[in-house]
Amino acid sequence: MLLEKAFWFIKRGYLLQMSYKFDFFLRIFFMLFNILTYYFIAKMMGDAAAKYLEPYGGDYFSFVLIGMAFSGYLMISLRSFSESVRDEQMMGTLEAMLVTPTGTSSIIALSSIWNFIFASFRVLIYLLIGVLLGVDMTRANVGGALLILILTIICFSSIGILSASFIMVFKRGDPINMLLMGTSELFGGVLFPIEVFPDWLQSISHILPITYAVSGMRHALLQGYSLGDLAPEIFTLALFSIILLPLSLFVFDQSVLKVKEEGGLVQY
Amino acid sequence: MLDRGFLDIIRNAGQKEVLTTLIDVNIRVGKGEVLGLLGPNGAGKSTLIKILCTLILPSEGDAYVNGYDVVKEGQKARGSIGFVTTDERSFYWRLSGRENLQFFATLYNLPQRDVKARVEELLEVVHLKKRADEPFLSYSAGMKQSMAIARGLLNDPAVLFMDEPTRSLDPGAAKGLRQFIKEHIVEEKGKTVFISTHQLDEAEELCDRVVILDEGRIKADASPADLKSSLPSGSSLCDVFTFYTGKDFAEDNSNPQAFSMHRSGRKRRGLGMGMKRKGF
Repeated sequence: MLLEKAFWFIKRGYLLQMSYKFDFFLRIFFMLFNILTYYFIAKMMGDAAAKYLEPYGGDYFSFVLIGMAFSGYLMISLRSFSESVRDEQMMGTLEAMLVTPTGTSSIIALSSIWNFIFASFRVLIYLLIGVLLGVDMTRANVGGALLILILTIICFSSIGILSASFIMVFKRGDPINMLLMGTSELFGGVLFPIEVFPDWLQSISHILPITYAVSGMRHALLQGYSLGDLAPEIFTLALFSIILLPLSLFVFDQSVLKVKEEGGLVQY
Repeated sequence: MLDRGFLDIIRNAGQKEVLTTLIDVNIRVGKGEVLGLLGPNGAGKSTLIKILCTLILPSEGDAYVNGYDVVKEGQKARGSIGFVTTDERSFYWRLSGRENLQFFATLYNLPQRDVKARVEELLEVVHLKKRADEPFLSYSAGMKQSMAIARGLLNDPAVLFMDEPTRSLDPGAAKGLRQFIKEHIVEEKGKTVFISTHQLDEAEELCDRVVILDEGRIKADASPADLKSSLPSGSSLCDVFTFYTGKDFAEDNSNPQAFSMHRSGRKRRGLGMGMKRKGF
């Protein structure tokens, strides 16, 4: 039954997305602009940053392409669950879904599936264009990359569920979203290596899950690291997931109870 | 905001003073009975329905639907009910009527092999089969309300909750819908129906029993005929309403504020459900 529900949520997401075709193609089109911008920045930089990029294969365009592609999962995870709650509240469909026997947590999780599929589609386009522009992934450890991807999604989704819990109770002004969105791009090694920072700033990077996600993905896809070589990233992401997933589910359940007691489940 | 301390704001984050407190509400509805919940805006009708649909948890008291405790057995309770809301935004406007019903049928745990047949059956029942593949946004108000009823019947519920089902309809469409509810849902299917309305003629036409609710309290609970017989001959339900609530009722469908409003803001921990009730 869960798979059937997932299928219908995906179908709903696809049909709604396709009903706004212009928006869909515009988003893909401007993604190309973004990639090309960094392609030419990398061309201009040449070997200037080779010292910092060496641990990741030495090429800036490959580095930033993987960073941009996979940081998308963080953005989607942070926004998707809370936006699903808010979108359904604003569209007016949340109440109609919540009176069905399908649980609140399932509805929120299933509502986000399409966003993750769309994010994965974007990652594929990023990687495809990257290969066309000369990014070398011939040594990629696909299995290792998939394992890191799964752990990344679990870890980021847990943070996203915490974020949705705040939105459910406070409606606006989620501090988790604001804090992580603001810090991850700067300190997470998305656009430049964290080695550029002085040591005391690097310690901030080391407490952010995105640092391990993009670093592990670069090592797996660009340098073909084995599972053993990827162990530090895999272990850290697993540790984040083990702590964050049960915590986020507990907080979410408590938030649902609280808003049900207050009668604010469908208010926005 | 200033009259609330910082700790109150944290404790009551997100709380909005919009729910009416229900006090000593004790109702038992028999199988196949049509109960009309009558009262002005802010009387507590929607709060009561939302509690019974598990959308709001009661802070005190117990409530059962089809024998299931709405707090402890919420999922089973929701599996027994259909909910017809007047809010036409509760559908996906860019999906077709058929796609909307198929989507919600899945949420009601209908096996995929049964979804198609059930949706087709209901589209036939509400006379929307010919327009089923058109986007929901192209439907008239009457068609949208018919869709809401079709959705409420997807899981063949034991109890159907209808929250002001004819509110947004013109008199002709409202009459047609009342006829449909009476003939198909009540007489043919024998459903237990719980209708919230502030239209007296609707309550009189459809309901076996009427509960008049005002400011969160039950003011009267009897059949329309019994309620009228307690007053001088020739009295209408309108007179009954005035008699029990002390308020005038202006039967003006275009004015949702037709009743004089005496709305009680919800106090903290004040959503009392009164005594235990069974039989929904």
